[in-house]
Amino acid sequence: MLVLFLCLQTWAQAQTNVLRGRVTEESGDAIVGASVSIKGTTRGTFTDGDGKYEIAATAGETLVYSFVGYTTKEYKLASGVTMYNVALASSSQILEEIVVVGYGTQKKRDVTGSVVSVSEATLREVPAANLQQALQGRAAGLEIQRVGNQPGAGAQIRIRGIRSISGSNEPLLVLDGIPYEGSLNDINPADIASVDVLKDASATAIYGSRGANGVILLTTKKGKSGSTRVAYSGYHGVGQVANKFPTYNAEEYQAMRNISTWGNGYMPDEIVGISRGTDVNWQDLMYKSSFRTEHNLSLTGGSEKSTFALGGGYYKENTVLPGEDFTRYTFRAAIDGTVGNRIKVGLSTQNIFSYSNGSQFVSGSPLFRMMAMSPLVSPTFDDGTLNPTPWGNIDDLNGNGRYSPLMLLTENPGWIDRVRRIRTFNSAYAEVEILDGLKYRANLGVNFAQQFNGTFIPQDRPLQPSFFRAGQGNTARVGNGETNGYTLEHILQYDKRFKENHTISATGLYSFQRSQSFDNFVQKDSIAEDFVKFYNLALSTPINSNNTFLGGGESSWSLVSYMARVNYSFKEKYLLTATYRRDGSSRLAPTNRWFDYPAFSAGWLLSEESFIRPIKEINLLKLRVGWGKTSNQAIGPYQSLGLVNNSNGLGAGSTGGNITRYNFGPTIVTGYNVVTLPNPNLSWEFTNTLNVGLDFGLYRDRISGSLEFYNSRTQDILYNVSLPVTSGVAGAFLTNIGEMSNKGFEFTLNTQNVVSKSNGFTWTTELNLFRNTNKLLALTSGVMQDIGSQLFVGYSMTSIYDFTKLGIWQISEAEEAARFGSSPGQIKLADISGPDGIPDGRIDATYDRSVIGNMDAKLQGGLTNRFTYKGFDFSVVTFARFGGKLVSQLHQPFGNYLTVLDGRRNEIKVDYWTPTNPSNWFPMPQAAISPVSDAWRTLGYYDASFLKIRSINIGYTFSPKLLQKAQIQNLRLYGVADNVATLFSPFFRQTGIDPEGTGLGNQGVANPGNIRANNAGNGALTVGLGTPMRRTFAMGINLTL
Amino acid sequence: MKKWHKLVAPVLIAGMTLGSCNEDEFLREQPFTVFSVEYFKTASGFENGLHAVYSGLRFLWGPEGMVSLGSVGTDEWALAEQARAGSPGFALTLGNYTIDAANGALLTPWNRSFNNINLANALVEFAPEVNIPEATKTRLVAETRFIRALYYLNLVQQFGAVPLDLGSGELKFNQSPFQGFNRLNHQELLVKNYEAIIADFQFAVENLPDRRPTGAFRAAKGAALHLLAKTYIQRGYSTAKQPTDFERGYQAATELINNRSRYGAELLQNFADVFRPGNDYNQEILFSIERVPGNFGANEIGTPNSIGAGKGTDAHNDFCGDYTNVRAPLASSSFVPTSTRAIPYGRPIRRFCPTPWAYFEAFADKTNDARYDGSFRTMYYATTTTGPWVATLVTANGLVTSTDTAFIAAHTNAQADSLNALRNPDGTRRLKYRVVAPREFYFIGGSIDPNLTRNYYPSLSKFEDLQNIDANNQATRPFPVARLAETYLLAAEAALQTNRANEALQFINVVKTRAAFRPGLSAATVAARAERIRVRNASEITLDFILDERTRELMGECMRWPDLATRGKLLERARKHNTDVAANIKDFHVLRPIPREQLDRTQDPDKAKYQNPGY
Repeated sequence: MLVLFLCLQTWAQAQTNVLRGRVTEESGDAIVGASVSIKGTTRGTFTDGDGKYEIAATAGETLVYSFVGYTTKEYKLASGVTMYNVALASSSQILEEIVVVGYGTQKKRDVTGSVVSVSEATLREVPAANLQQALQGRAAGLEIQRVGNQPGAGAQIRIRGIRSISGSNEPLLVLDGIPYEGSLNDINPADIASVDVLKDASATAIYGSRGANGVILLTTKKGKSGSTRVAYSGYHGVGQVANKFPTYNAEEYQAMRNISTWGNGYMPDEIVGISRGTDVNWQDLMYKSSFRTEHNLSLTGGSEKSTFALGGGYYKENTVLPGEDFTRYTFRAAIDGTVGNRIKVGLSTQNIFSYSNGSQFVSGSPLFRMMAMSPLVSPTFDDGTLNPTPWGNIDDLNGNGRYSPLMLLTENPGWIDRVRRIRTFNSAYAEVEILDGLKYRANLGVNFAQQFNGTFIPQDRPLQPSFFRAGQGNTARVGNGETNGYTLEHILQYDKRFKENHTISATGLYSFQRSQSFDNFVQKDSIAEDFVKFYNLALSTPINSNNTFLGGGESSWSLVSYMARVNYSFKEKYLLTATYRRDGSSRLAPTNRWFDYPAFSAGWLLSEESFIRPIKEINLLKLRVGWGKTSNQAIGPYQSLGLVNNSNGLGAGSTGGNITRYNFGPTIVTGYNVVTLPNPNLSWEFTNTLNVGLDFGLYRDRISGSLEFYNSRTQDILYNVSLPVTSGVAGAFLTNIGEMSNKGFEFTLNTQNVVSKSNGFTWTTELNLFRNTNKLLALTSGVMQDIGSQLFVGYSMTSIYDFTKLGIWQISEAEEAARFGSSPGQIKLADISGPDGIPDGRIDATYDRSVIGNMDAKLQGGLTNRFTYKGFDFSVVTFARFGGKLVSQLHQPFGNYLTVLDGRRNEIKVDYWTPTNPSNWFPMPQAAISPVSDAWRTLGYYDASFLKIRSINIGYTFSPKLLQKAQIQNLRLYGVADNVATLFSPFFRQTGIDPEGTGLGNQGVANPGNIRANNAGNGALTVGLGTPMRRTFAMGINLTL
Repeated sequence: MKKWHKLVAPVLIAGMTLGSCNEDEFLREQPFTVFSVEYFKTASGFENGLHAVYSGLRFLWGPEGMVSLGSVGTDEWALAEQARAGSPGFALTLGNYTIDAANGALLTPWNRSFNNINLANALVEFAPEVNIPEATKTRLVAETRFIRALYYLNLVQQFGAVPLDLGSGELKFNQSPFQGFNRLNHQELLVKNYEAIIADFQFAVENLPDRRPTGAFRAAKGAALHLLAKTYIQRGYSTAKQPTDFERGYQAATELINNRSRYGAELLQNFADVFRPGNDYNQEILFSIERVPGNFGANEIGTPNSIGAGKGTDAHNDFCGDYTNVRAPLASSSFVPTSTRAIPYGRPIRRFCPTPWAYFEAFADKTNDARYDGSFRTMYYATTTTGPWVATLVTANGLVTSTDTAFIAAHTNAQADSLNALRNPDGTRRLKYRVVAPREFYFIGGSIDPNLTRNYYPSLSKFEDLQNIDANNQATRPFPVARLAETYLLAAEAALQTNRANEALQFINVVKTRAAFRPGLSAATVAARAERIRVRNASEITLDFILDERTRELMGECMRWPDLATRGKLLERARKHNTDVAANIKDFHVLRPIPREQLDRTQDPDKAKYQNPGY
């Protein structure tokens, strides 16, 4: 048989003819420039001005006729045919795209929910350590805010706003079909072929209790049948600090100090510095250039029966501060094969191994010192040796501050700050076609991750100072954590077409998932010798139990699910989807464990209707409506049980000070107290979402996009209610407290602005804009506001409740200021109300605090412009947020102690009031900046809007003709710059500091008390002192053999 | 077609097997590291609960918040340079009475008491179910109630009436998420508060062992009698007073004094030994909040060099003047031999300095009365080798082994002048070190000239921690709550208020006589000195005199503010002796404001009714 087939082919090849014909629209009008190619080869041509073509082809080969805006047609050339005319139906290419939905894939034509896809090319446009960064600003409804600039730092991902205050708002991640309980940092973006984001409940309800926050489906690259291909991609980039923190120079520092409360004059070194005109900017001395490099190699191939993909990656990045870097090695493999005609099996494995250095203690103290050390003190003595303590006050010299961070640049530090992660995520499947159209599939996912943290800080010695351990002996800490879990799914799928016009597709699922995490650590000081590091903690001096510090924890959860979904389509125009899921979770009390999640959606392909078809301008118009119910697993394991433990609620610090201890003389004992009250009634937060969407394609998809409106209502919001401490429970009480809504719209517009056939110049634009409005609708307690928990009915969950700062009392207002117990130069607060409902002439916490804004963006989005000309391509990626407030803890004096203006140290530069400088920004440097003791908080609120150029790319792709001779399939060289510029930002303009957040929750020394705490990665995003952003220029190459 | 059936069968069977596992079992939570409230009904859980209740007291004796609330803004302690410059802000506003409800120091007693009170309620409630020997159980319940009373006494002193009902009834363990605030009818509640405190201390007196363990501070009868006396006396001045209060206070105090050996308490011969480092478990101290010297983990101090965070002691630093800027041997010298901080001297964070009244009047006699020298550090050795000084300050195990004096603080200006005038035969200055005159101290009305001593003033030495590991650390010594010398002063006060003036005189003179002792003096000299400082006439004993004497004996022991406030003497004495307070102090300042955080969290739109008047 095989021999015969080969013979036939050989015979057929000899019969190559010239085939001629014409490509037209259904109306008969010629299609100019349509592609005619022969499947599986590189041979092809285009139609001429009359739609005519001519191509050499052999009988048995398949011809492919395609043109943008029309349905592609295939024709298998019959023997002896020399003329073939074809009429293409006007259609949108977009409908033919394959979209990954939960537990399967669909053509975009059949999708009735709200799904947005990001292609591989888009992901690779911004060089980034992780997917979060790559996705920022790239998809409507997908809000990604970075959380700091440390290498490999994560980002906060929110799909259509937040629905939970105390639980996670992170979307569910699904990697190759299996729920992925890991960090996105553990995925190499280069391994991802596509990202599909399910946004509305009709799409996410099949993930039931985990669907409310949206679902991100990640598909890794798979092998393709055909010849084996080797691909390499890589780049190397060099970066510089994007923006330095503005601090006072020598002259400004003295001016500030002289007017402040500081009464202790200048240090001897400073007096020398003043006489010599010394003016040190410590940041200039500390920042070095950074780099970022990435190399990926892959091997793909296979036959009709089986395919394989192998890939390896290397990524390394460091920062402008010494000692911070991140290295990641990845390895993946995927094999897919068929057994007989009805069985498919496959196996895939994703493995990462990463090191990050400096993430645990490096960035904190050096940065503070770089801001705070005296600009008047020379960094070195006259003999060129480093001045170890260049402080402007004796307290820092004697106390916590001590050593100059320049030590980190010049001395062999001897410290270790390392985190090493290993993760292996494996999946296997077997699919059996039981009957035609009926398939059974078993999926098994196994996830295992291990993390090691190790730190060592050597002893401080007179001749060998230890930067991170001034005045102390050495200390070592080793921690190990493990996460393991598995998912087992049974899926039945049935597809059937009845009587031409009816198509049905049904899916059923029964699945189990279980996951456990635990960790342990040990910390020990008085290690015998510094060179021992943390490798043998027994080589140490057990002076007393003080130098040993132990800890650990465990949590596990499990989930059982049933799911059914039916898709029905009539004439491929009218589409219906119904889904149902039932989830049982271990996290809830047994009486309250199982919940159901229904969803319905419908689609109508208007452009297939006879009343739209004649309108040539419209080639796609599709209306979608969906409703569904979902929830999020916002309750941690064991939370319904109540909690008694030995934690004292304090920081562990370096000594393990977080365990409740007491002693009776030398006998040390441990104390246990109630930290959480039991609550068997805890339930999920349920979200009902209504979504209306419109997909459109105009002018043969030259203009395409979609518009979505949604309204979601979340009930039974969980909240850690901060009880009055007089309730006798120090911890917060997690309970279902109320309702909130998220409403919004999303707009995506892709345009092909210029498509020139003559010289290959093209210009395309991708725009996405979206807005989400969050509102707390009700609290079950019936109250309109719970200030202690920062809940305000009728306002956003991110509301800021505080006094209103009007400015600074000016000299001309002295009399009025005095009535408020204030004086010129102090913060001027608004007298909003009083006991009688009108301003009462005094500033009072009860009557003069109000919701002064929230942290939500009013509008956000991204804009990407791409240009190609011949082999060149050029793209600019911008993204923006407009509206909302940011909280800068740098500008809250007791947040970071860097705008206290007490003259003790150098600080972040602000425009403060003096009798001759009537600033309205910061008060005069003095002991009392307001008679209201927490008025300092009001100095930290700013407009969060910004518009940034995220990256600029320029590349050149060599022509295939040239490459063919060198046996190269594809070769592209490119250059890319990231964090190019901040085009607009009121905060940046005023303060000189980047408006993107550096951390979650309170990052300050003194907690302002009105910043949402960081539960479950859910804290308010605030600006504090963190590793500064880098601007990197990279050169890269993509090569396929 | 046959082949695939063979493959499918095992997969399907495997699937069904896993599928048929018991879902309820699969979903059952089995925590390893989490306990429930039932734990407190076990023998070890009951004791570990009591440990937590004890441990909470560490917040209230030693950390900066409570040191500030107990000391500044009184006749004894004024704002030192750092607090005056606004660091920390809460100390400034406590010191000058611009305090508002957001003052951070208030959160220490407020936020750290009720959860421990609630746990104490649980232990008392669960005790009948706990399987331990009855005698042990009674003692542990008595300890629990003793500590509960201590929490309440402390709260009542600062805030007036506070809730007894935390959500489930008075003195009942509350497990409901109660968002109310049972603090209406202040007067009625205050009466109940005192009744509860007295009942607890009374129960403790009846059920605790006579003596505390020799080397440890578990609650015992002596401490309970002392605190019972103190509570009665305090109530005697309050609006909740009962006619028998001073009499009962007198009885409790004299019971302890008259049966000192039974209760294992005795005054030490040398005042300075009471607070001598390493002598923390001496007989005079009835009850201290314990800490383990040098062991930060055991003391719950996460970051030893932080200030005011958590459970470590800051008292050794809060009263510490800046010795690191004092030039020597002359104000005009270029050497600062003490520029490096040293463990015995502490971290000069200079929150509070003595008022001129305390320095010049209360401690007018610094010679015959040894208590000034026993309470303040006046001599400093060089800590840095510079110029002619050699820093030989060695703190191996906390002990100074070699010395080179850098400066001393003179008792009087005259003394300083004469010492500084001493000359060698060749006309050079006799003393190698500097003698700082009181006029050079950083005091209100005194010098703040940076060229003299900058921010130096005599620093309280009572809490110096020689076993510390770094000069910047929080201290790790036990912190005394009750000592026998104060029992004598309480007895004297109760005697005075019950018309036993002669007895009052005797009690005062016991304390005075001890104060005359200094090691190395002959018995005759001590007796002569005692004679010079003793009170001769019972008519001299007034409440003001007793308060003066309390300063001499108890200066810096973090109880001055409640001492004055509960006796109705705060306004008068603070106005008279502390120029920081005069401008702002008002009548309502005898109670602290209820913290704003508490009111913010209370579910009631009318929050004003819960607040103390004036705030």
